[in-house]
Amino acid sequence: MKRFWLESYPPGVPPEVDTRACPTLRHLLDRSCARFRERPAIVNMGVELSYGELDRLSRDFGAFLRSGLRLQTGDRLAIMLPNVLQYPVALFGALRAGLTVVNVNPLYTASELEHQLTDSGARAIVVLENFAHTVGKALARCRVEHVIVTRLGDLFPLAKRSLVNFAVKYVKRMVPRWSISGATGMRDALAQGAREGLPEVKLGPDDIAFLQYTGGTTGRPKGAILSHGNMVANVEQTAAWIRILLNEGEETVITALPLYHIFALTANLLVFLKLGGTNVLITNPRDIPRFVAELRQTRFTAITGVNTLFNALLDAPGFDAVCAASRGVLKVAVAGGMSVQRSVAERWQRATGIPLVEGYGLTEASPIVCGNRFDTGEFTGKLGLPVPSTEVAILDEHGAEVALGETGEICVRGPQVMRGYWNAPEETANVFTREGWLRTGDMGRMDGRGFVEFIERRKDVIVVSGFKAYPTEIEDVAMLHPGVKDAGAVGVPDARSGEAVALYVVKKYPGLTAEALLEHCGRHLTGYKLPQRIEFREQLPKTMVGKILRRRLKEEAMAGRG
Amino acid sequence: MAEYPGHLSRTHRLLDGRTVTIRPVRPDDFARERRFLGELSGESLYLRFQKWVSAPKEKLVHFLTEIDYERHMAFVCTAPGADAEEVVGEARYVVNPDNTSCEFGVMISDGWHKTGIAGLLMEAIISTARSRGLKSMEGQVLSSNATMLRFARGLGFKAEAVPGDLTIRRVVKKL
Repeated sequence: MKRFWLESYPPGVPPEVDTRACPTLRHLLDRSCARFRERPAIVNMGVELSYGELDRLSRDFGAFLRSGLRLQTGDRLAIMLPNVLQYPVALFGALRAGLTVVNVNPLYTASELEHQLTDSGARAIVVLENFAHTVGKALARCRVEHVIVTRLGDLFPLAKRSLVNFAVKYVKRMVPRWSISGATGMRDALAQGAREGLPEVKLGPDDIAFLQYTGGTTGRPKGAILSHGNMVANVEQTAAWIRILLNEGEETVITALPLYHIFALTANLLVFLKLGGTNVLITNPRDIPRFVAELRQTRFTAITGVNTLFNALLDAPGFDAVCAASRGVLKVAVAGGMSVQRSVAERWQRATGIPLVEGYGLTEASPIVCGNRFDTGEFTGKLGLPVPSTEVAILDEHGAEVALGETGEICVRGPQVMRGYWNAPEETANVFTREGWLRTGDMGRMDGRGFVEFIERRKDVIVVSGFKAYPTEIEDVAMLHPGVKDAGAVGVPDARSGEAVALYVVKKYPGLTAEALLEHCGRHLTGYKLPQRIEFREQLPKTMVGKILRRRLKEEAMAGRG
Repeated sequence: MAEYPGHLSRTHRLLDGRTVTIRPVRPDDFARERRFLGELSGESLYLRFQKWVSAPKEKLVHFLTEIDYERHMAFVCTAPGADAEEVVGEARYVVNPDNTSCEFGVMISDGWHKTGIAGLLMEAIISTARSRGLKSMEGQVLSSNATMLRFARGLGFKAEAVPGDLTIRRVVKKL
């Protein structure tokens, strides 16, 4: 296959990347910690962690996992943390100890968590105390042997630590009651690890770095197996793409998207770690006034986000001052996860003076597949060009390439593409073509210069602010309610989040109310998956042999919006 | 309701040596059909109904087993089980309101894929539909269901796009 898009590459971007110098994420970390020792690696709530400190703390944590808990190479450790200093410490500690990391959304409900812990076979979990009650509820039915609990202020200097930990628990009452026998505190774990020391762990590119969960069309999420080789390849690919505008050891990126999501994990944490940059972790980006206040105090050169987030910032009071202060300083703004609206891109460019550069990827590809050029000053409305060492093909349903410019499924090959799904050979077989192409489930086309354009999704999936919600999972939960006979979920356009979930329900008990059903759903589903709208019907539209007509439901939903 | 068309029953020897019977479904298949559905994986149920189906409801099993053999025709594939005959696959069609075309649906037990029974079941419904004077047969297939799309093409179905919905394909065959 001729990679004709290479001719459209900006000057300075290589056609291939080489991962031999850093074959695993541990090598990448070791290298940056040695080169940028005094530089701040992570900043959160005003507290800095230098590369040197990140090196020491992650070693201590890794030593605790390895020597204290006796976890072995390939054992799974779940990390259930928002963007706080403990996240990179736990992550790099686990990777240094040779463990496989299972990222968990801290807002998961007990049943969602239970599924992920059971499916991944996690032996241990690190959780922020604020979410320990969820772990407590899920634990009874999982094989998890060790729980490490951390408080929000655990890695802050003493005075701030006491203050924050006290305020979170007693003033803001953000810690629901929990009880987990034998749980270890993060600070104790670090102290114990420091005494024991990290033994030498053999690690290669084929070792599994992450089981990164992503929704499945048939109900529960499945784990994409991402090896160290996959991850370092994508870090090199993304770094090669972005570094034409960035300088090693000088950059600061705003990390507002959660690190448990593959986009921020790779594009922010790992890429900027490689570049010796600083990640400013925003713990709660939904608190827009505090977020904007933090941006005002920070000199940042890069920011990533999803359309919803950029839109919210542009609407926020005080953001104009941030923009004024950022002129000439801010170099790159990257959007991914969901389609970027032209209106948002244009407002962003007017406000900040730099374009919103759209990228494209998916969990199964670690995730970056395509990116727009950083050196051209305008929004293309396209997903971009395939990044180095990556092949993109537009295939028809037989797996044959369509003519240039025609629509087909966007398919990917490259070193960043996962090996398969964890314990799901059938789903793995379905997602790859016989020639080894990863089928993205997105329909698109490629123009004569190699720019890929998104047309529509072929998979039944609802994308809410960059997070994927699968209709079947919502239907499954709704039908667990004894008052529900049948349920159908569809995505409807939403001004704020791109898409939102609408749920159509056939009642079994006439007394069932939308409020009661929503409350039930809230016990099983994370917030973004919850229906924005519940409507009752006598029956759901179906074909003669009983297949659901989602298109009909969508049309109804659109017509009813008024 | 028409009489039970017992003459349409056939016994087949599969390539792997096993013997199965393809016959029109009967109301007394209720328990067998319910068990068959109950043992299907979530994936198989999703591919057939294209939504989440929890434990098979009685109403659905009645719909699948109590048919009129005229507008609604269905065949089950049965095999000798541990203690009694069991259903391992089924296919059906329902005549559309235009009276000349029909829609089909097929389900195979997870352990019986690639044994050839899907082809036998499809053959049974296609030849029955043809003999009843129907002009075409169609089906709604998920675009992601590459296996089914390949299978349908092998039987002479053509896949068409559905305007406004890329998640499904319409497969059609002239009878």
